Amino acid sequence: MIIRIIKSLICFGIPFILLWVPPEAFSIPGLTAVEQRVIALFTLAALCWVLEPIPAYATSLLIIVLMLVMISDKGLTWLIVSHNGDPVGTLIPFADLMAVFASPIILLFLGGFFLALAATKYRLDQNLARVLLKPFGSKPSRVMLGIMLITAIFSMFMSNTATTAMMLAILVPVLALFETTDKGKVAFALSVPVAANIGGRATPIGTPPNAIAMKYLTGDDYISFGEWMAFSLPLVLLLLMISWMLLLFFFPMKNKSLNLDMKGKFLKNRKAYIVYATFAITLILWLTDFIHGMNSFVVAMIPVAVFSSTSIVTKEDLKTLSWDVLWLIAGGIALGLALERTGLAQKLVTHIPFETFSPLLVVFFASVFALVMANFMSHTATANLLLPIVAALATSLTGLQPYGGEQMFIITVTFSCSLAMVLPISTPPNALAYGLGIVKTKDMAIIGIIVGIVGLITTYLMVYILNVINFFS
Amino acid sequence: MAKLYIICIDDQREVLNTVVKDLESFENFFVIEACESAIEAWELIEEIDDEGDQLALVVSDHVMPDKSGVQFLTELYEDGRFALTRKILLTGLATHKDTITAINKAKIDTYIEKPWKKEQLIGDVKKMLTFFVLEAGLNYEKYIDALDQQTLLGELRKKV
Repeated sequence: MIIRIIKSLICFGIPFILLWVPPEAFSIPGLTAVEQRVIALFTLAALCWVLEPIPAYATSLLIIVLMLVMISDKGLTWLIVSHNGDPVGTLIPFADLMAVFASPIILLFLGGFFLALAATKYRLDQNLARVLLKPFGSKPSRVMLGIMLITAIFSMFMSNTATTAMMLAILVPVLALFETTDKGKVAFALSVPVAANIGGRATPIGTPPNAIAMKYLTGDDYISFGEWMAFSLPLVLLLLMISWMLLLFFFPMKNKSLNLDMKGKFLKNRKAYIVYATFAITLILWLTDFIHGMNSFVVAMIPVAVFSSTSIVTKEDLKTLSWDVLWLIAGGIALGLALERTGLAQKLVTHIPFETFSPLLVVFFASVFALVMANFMSHTATANLLLPIVAALATSLTGLQPYGGEQMFIITVTFSCSLAMVLPISTPPNALAYGLGIVKTKDMAIIGIIVGIVGLITTYLMVYILNVINFFS
Repeated sequence: MAKLYIICIDDQREVLNTVVKDLESFENFFVIEACESAIEAWELIEEIDDEGDQLALVVSDHVMPDKSGVQFLTELYEDGRFALTRKILLTGLATHKDTITAINKAKIDTYIEKPWKKEQLIGDVKKMLTFFVLEAGLNYEKYIDALDQQTLLGELRKKV
């Protein structure tokens, strides 16, 4: 209880003080009242997402509402009209702030939710898992590789948490048969969250940080679904193989054979066929935008319409969607909007002499910072806070151009967020695996730290290769 | 933060103490209360409700003076305020007819026969609490040590 009060005092007290100190204290020349408020709100968001005195999505809603009141053109009169002649700063149109709830990024994710919901409801996920696992036989190390590949593939389209829950549910009865001294148990329990976290990186809808990155990859920097997969899939596969070997090395298996007994068969009714077909067509459309011209966002709306009009996703199903995830992302978009539109981002970036630093060093520190931060708070919140700053930085760091510019910087930092899996609290998949009572925090940390470092190195390698082949425009 | 309650009811003090002792591992997350009669339980439940706290689970004996366990659980089921509360009937003396009423009218979630095994009771309580925590929309990560992992995973995989 006392901890709760202290947390709340820190989270709400510090931003409150920031609102009242004289603007000169920030030593940013020409800082307007609105910009000062954005600094306070940004601090509020950062503190609340780290310490979580209120749920993460509630923080998002809170800052959006505070923005509407404090820095929108229809905000509280006394706050937005200047009384002593000094301009308050650039206000943001209220409609633009409200529009973050229906931003293309949110709708892209909504499309992903519909696909995942339909797939789960019509047992496409379980049946695919069963069929795909068969070729891996019954040798435990092979079975684990199969589990990891399938987890990774599913987490490209479903939430990492739902994928982990599904795969662990398959594993739990089998793990109970392991001898208590067999470390292979730990390997299996860890393989699922690791693969889910890694797999989420492979598509723009795989995990929320990717979607947030798409927000800043617009205009010339736009990356299509297919392009995203083309560069991230090889990286994901490489990292999966490395993690697999790491798990086998640290937690050798004694068990000689393992049989996953999965029952069920593919549903063969009209609606199930519609689900299969829509899933396949959506995926194909995502990968072939260069032929038909519809971008990822437009394609994502197709399953939404199909599943709604065929009652595959019903009114009741709609209520089970993770609106909290969508609103958490919306908060990040609003923060980015506020930073950019008020001119604060520009001011900060020009004020701090980043030009004097080596651009590669800036990228390195930003990605390491993202990785460390995301271990202690939600990956999505990390991306929410860092990517708007990274986007602003990228435009001003002219020295970055030869290395891939804004696209390279954003992708590197985004991927770093998804690599955070050291602690049980780092991601919900980790928490689920830890909850089984098989994995110790130490085991999770060893694998998490090594995968994080190897992941960073391979990410650098990937953007280097992409730059060499002139992928970045 | 609203407190979450587990109430155990049995008219025999020593049995009641054993039940409460068996469940002590849940004390980190839930307030466990012992009542010797259904009437006492109702008084406590009203208090809990007044305070804005939540009743997560009731573990009740059946054969008790004044009011039977099945009668009590039926009243609890019919009271809309406790729609999320999970109900365990823990008894060795319920007749066939009582059992039918317990299922049809009181909609009990689990029937445990006396004498019970500690592990079984804890396992069933964990399952019940998992459903309660998820249906009440609480943050399951906070209670994860008190929940049944298989049930939790099964429920979570339905969410997108």
